[in-house]
Amino acid sequence: MAAERADRRPIRWHIAVFLAPAVLIYTAVMIIPLFGTLQLSLFSTVDNQQVFVGLKNFATLLGDERWAASFWNALWNNTWFFIIHMVVQNPIGVLLAALLSHPRLRFSAFYRTAIFVPTILSFVIVGFTWKLILSPLWGVAPELLDMIGLKHLFTPWLGKEDYALTTLGLISVWQFVGIPMMLIYAALLSIPEEILEAAECDGITGFAQFWKIQLPLILPAIGIISILTFVGNFNAFDLIYSAQGALAGPNYATDILGTFLYRTFFGFQLQIGDPNMGATIASIMFFIILAGVCLYLFAIQSRLRRYQF
Amino acid sequence: MDALKLEKIRKSFGQVEVLKGIDLQVADGEFVVFVGPSGCGKSTLLRIIAGLEDATAGEVAIAGARVNAVPPAKRGIAMVFQTYALYPHLSVRDNMGLGLKQSGAPAAEIARRIEIASTMLSLEPYLARRPAELSGGQRQRVAIGRAVVREPKLFLFDEPLSNLDAALRVNTRLEIAQLHKRLSATMIYVTHDQVEAMTLADRIVVLNAGRVEQIGAPMELYNNPANEFVAGFIGSPKMNFIDGARLGETARTVGVRPEHLAVDRDKGDWKGTVMHAEHLGADTNLYIDTEKAGLLTARIFGEFRAEPGETIFATPDPARTCRFDAEGRTLR
Amino acid sequence: MSQARSSPARTAAAHAILIVYTLIALFPVLIVVMNSFKSRKAIFRSPLSPPSAETFDLVGYQTVLAQGNFPLYFQNSVVVTVVALAIVLVFGAMAAFALAEYRFRGNALMGLYLALGIMIPIRLGTVAILEMMVASGLVNTLTALVLVYSAQGLPLAIFILTEFTRQISDDLKNAGRIDGLSEYRIFFRLVLPLLRPPMATVAVFTMIPIWNDLWFPLILAPAEATKTVTLGAQLFLGQFVTNWNAVLAALSLAILPVMILYLIFSRQLIRGITSGAVK
Repeated sequence: MAAERADRRPIRWHIAVFLAPAVLIYTAVMIIPLFGTLQLSLFSTVDNQQVFVGLKNFATLLGDERWAASFWNALWNNTWFFIIHMVVQNPIGVLLAALLSHPRLRFSAFYRTAIFVPTILSFVIVGFTWKLILSPLWGVAPELLDMIGLKHLFTPWLGKEDYALTTLGLISVWQFVGIPMMLIYAALLSIPEEILEAAECDGITGFAQFWKIQLPLILPAIGIISILTFVGNFNAFDLIYSAQGALAGPNYATDILGTFLYRTFFGFQLQIGDPNMGATIASIMFFIILAGVCLYLFAIQSRLRRYQF
Repeated sequence: MDALKLEKIRKSFGQVEVLKGIDLQVADGEFVVFVGPSGCGKSTLLRIIAGLEDATAGEVAIAGARVNAVPPAKRGIAMVFQTYALYPHLSVRDNMGLGLKQSGAPAAEIARRIEIASTMLSLEPYLARRPAELSGGQRQRVAIGRAVVREPKLFLFDEPLSNLDAALRVNTRLEIAQLHKRLSATMIYVTHDQVEAMTLADRIVVLNAGRVEQIGAPMELYNNPANEFVAGFIGSPKMNFIDGARLGETARTVGVRPEHLAVDRDKGDWKGTVMHAEHLGADTNLYIDTEKAGLLTARIFGEFRAEPGETIFATPDPARTCRFDAEGRTLR
Repeated sequence: MSQARSSPARTAAAHAILIVYTLIALFPVLIVVMNSFKSRKAIFRSPLSPPSAETFDLVGYQTVLAQGNFPLYFQNSVVVTVVALAIVLVFGAMAAFALAEYRFRGNALMGLYLALGIMIPIRLGTVAILEMMVASGLVNTLTALVLVYSAQGLPLAIFILTEFTRQISDDLKNAGRIDGLSEYRIFFRLVLPLLRPPMATVAVFTMIPIWNDLWFPLILAPAEATKTVTLGAQLFLGQFVTNWNAVLAALSLAILPVMILYLIFSRQLIRGITSGAVK
């Protein structure tokens, strides 16, 4: 009898108690709605009734002339937005981190703190501040360009279809460059000083040292930054909404998937909101992000070696 | 011509002076060991020789040329680090070849040197592996190989054995000694372990609190220590120091090494009681509380049966007793 | 840096680049704050010069304080952020402890399930979240925002805290068990105090996106009584877009509290990032 009791472990209720609150909130507010959204994308509202329509919404989004034009426009804009971050934000972040990680560089704490400031500001502040600075009404940008003799280059960038999206991309880079900078900085600090000293003894100094020793060792950090940038960009909304409004003007030139989703879901001006089409767009965003994350996890991360120092 | 010459080297970190004027000349082909307790400045001195650190004052000359402002790679040195400091992303071969490649050596020459070094250190089977796939001892051999490939005028070793376990340490010590013979290169070796210093060195430099206490061949330091510090630092177990006044001597302190105390159950100079006995097999350490000289350690070769509480006599070998003045200097 | 290793030219170049970038990072903030204290004329005539005795004017701030319902918005933001933060930290630490401490069937799977939310943004479920909030009558309540932000913050919090909980010595917990402490007491008395430093890091990471979020306040709680500062500022700025004094003053007021908090906690934040908490 006693032996039997000892064999069977009592149910450890405390494990459930510790896990329950977090798992419940996470499941109820995040996972169920996520699948709910995927499910909604398979339905359509007919006479106030939800009717199962299979993949018809996706067909509409990709096939209907009007929808498809908006969707591809938003997807392409979003891709361009991501490209800007990859080719501008991350190299600048790596450069700044490389400079900051130099041992015994003076004022490095000050630089670090200052460069990270834009990252903590809300999109609303960032969007409006830049809108004001770039506004032709207020002379800040032209005056600054005048100082370096480039005044003729000024144009109301946010108001021109050709420039608006790139400008917003650069504003977003300005805001977020602190994150790659910090992560790379941390990765660089984790490289033991003796390895760099060995490189000095081997005559690998300056830029060669960065290129041949440090860069290969921080590739995993660059991989993480890339996937974070990808997820962040394909989920972006706030900055565009703050600076250009839900219509993502001029003439949808700055429309990305986030703003497209918002307009579709809630409607705007003459357009009526459509939760099912909204859910369809959200689902496509979900699959895009999922594909990116999977690509990273299975194809990229496994090839990036992590080094134990 | 000296392979290395240091003149009045001083180094301060802020207010703290860690090196207080070091002079040293190392002859070609010599194996010199810097030894001292932690914080004595021995690693800093090595790093100044390497060019990884600037001297606050003084002059470093390698093979007759002043090198104070010459970058490490141009000094003709190679360094082996305590933590090996191998490039984790490169294979053993590339670890050894990277420096040569950077300096633009022809590929055939690089291959030849790697071949020689890897044969010497029996690294051939591992040339394609990365450091993570090697054991600690193998990594240390790669680090040594990386130094050998550079064919430096001066090898610098910074506590290279301290991350290895005891058995491996003995093997690698042997390998370094053989390497020195084969290459007949000049080597500077930093350690806090006096056994390594005694077994490897042609000459030992004993450092303490930023100063040189004594420079000399291992047995010279053992037999004729310049002062109390060196006498206490070299030799294990440590030399017994006895207050001169207790023995009626004019010297402030009298030093007797444990192995120079003869022990007898019946007669001798100093009568005492056995406090504790350590039986090591090859020898026995006795801790004896003597009436005249206080607590002493005696080292007896072979086995010696002694029980705590037993009465015993200890007699110092007068020819091998050291005497020190009030400043700790040896009286001759 | 050794003289033999570094050249003054290289150091100077590094400082030059960093100074230029620091200016780029701070300039927009400075220019907004500076001009918010100037009269309308001065804002336009000489936007780059600091306010002087002549041009000093607080009219923008007067407009903002008279028009906006900002104290209420501010209060809403604080309530939402603090409550969500508390939930994320306490429940997150509890779940992290369960995952790190106990071996049970499905442990790894549970960890993976909870980590999913780090990569997949909660925004993608917005359509169904709104439906759910409508159904449960939580639209236009702060509770809705608290729930959403808690769910958003938990995955990363659990992930980071699990790593740290694993590092706590088993001896300590076993000593507690031998002394007869219950598992709850072991967690709250012994483990939780040791988790304080990583929790501070998690707090900063969780707080910034909550405070700055525009999407969910706009969708779940746009009513006047439940507006957050970020949403309030957005609407105010849109409304007063031609009143430059008011806009600049509103922006400055929005920047200041965040800046003050940042300067207090920046060391914590930077230490958190550089300690590898997010790797």
